[in-house]
Amino acid sequence: NAALSCSPSPMRGPLLAAAGGAMGGAGGPLARTIRAKLTAALQPTHLEVRDDSPRHGGPPGAETHFGVLVVSGRFAGLPPLQRHRLVHEALRAELAGPLHALQVTARTPEQWQSDPRVPSAPPCLGGSKREQRRG
Amino acid sequence: MRAAVRTGWRIGAAAALRGRAGRPLSQAAGEGSGAEGGSGGSGGGSGSREAVERLVREHPVVVFMKGSPAQPLCGFSNAVVQILRLHGVEDYRAHDVLQDPDLRQGIKDYSNWPTIPQVYLNGEFVGGCDILLQMHQNGDLVEELKKLGIRSALLDAEKDQEKK
Repeated sequence: NAALSCSPSPMRGPLLAAAGGAMGGAGGPLARTIRAKLTAALQPTHLEVRDDSPRHGGPPGAETHFGVLVVSGRFAGLPPLQRHRLVHEALRAELAGPLHALQVTARTPEQWQSDPRVPSAPPCLGGSKREQRRG
Repeated sequence: MRAAVRTGWRIGAAAALRGRAGRPLSQAAGEGSGAEGGSGGSGGGSGSREAVERLVREHPVVVFMKGSPAQPLCGFSNAVVQILRLHGVEDYRAHDVLQDPDLRQGIKDYSNWPTIPQVYLNGEFVGGCDILLQMHQNGDLVEELKKLGIRSALLDAEKDQEKK
C-alpha cells in the first residue's frame, strides 16, 4: 500500500544536484524551458521553478510535476483564475506534453512584498499509477 | 534577493478533520462518472461539451478529480476534498476522471484548463487546488458558499470558540 515513494528520491549527478533547490537557473531541460517561457511572457520580478517530480514516484530527472512562483506586475487587477490562465498560456505546449502537474502561485510585486510564503506541493497519493495497481 | 518562505502542506483547522474521515457522502457519483447516459462514447460521448455542461450544472458544488472523496488518488485532488470537508461541504458531485478518459479530456477542453482537479460552483469554473486553497485562506470560499446557500462549518467553529 505505502510502497509508492512519496518522499524525495535522491538526486543523482551534478546537474540534478544543482537542480535540487531549483531556485536558480539550474535544472533539467523542462525546468529551463519553463523559466524561459515564463520570463518572456510575464517579465517577472521574481521567479521560482520547483521540480516536484521526485516526490511523485518518478525517477530523478523525470520533470513531470512542477511548482512555480511568479511575481509580476502583469497580474495587477487580475483575479487568481486569470493569473493562472496567463501562466498556463505561456506553458501551453508543455502542458499538452510532458508537464503533468503544475502548482501555481501568482502574485503582484506588492503582494509578494507583504507575503513571501509559498505553499509546498501536497503529498503524492499515487495518481493513476496507483489506480492501475489496484486494477 | 528575497527568498520564498516555504510553508508546510497544512490546511488550517486540522482538528476539524479528525472524526470526519469515512463520513459518507449523501451521494457519490464519483465511481459512476462514466455512467451518465449509460454510454462510454456514443452520441457525443461523456467528454462532449453537452455532457460536461450537464455535469457542472447538476449541483451547486461539482468537482472533477482523480479518485473519489472517500479515496482520492492525487494530492491536489485530496486537498480539494479536505478543504470542502473543513467547510462542512460533504454533499457535492465528484467525478473521477481516472475512470473516464473521455471525461478527463472533455473537462479540460470545456474549461480551457489543463489540469485536474477542477472545481465548479453554481456551474461556473472557479479553479483548481491552488485557487481553492487561496479562497479558503482568504475567506472568499466562505462567501462563495454563502451565495450558494451553504453555510460553512468554519463559521460555526468560530462561534463555538467565541463562546468559550
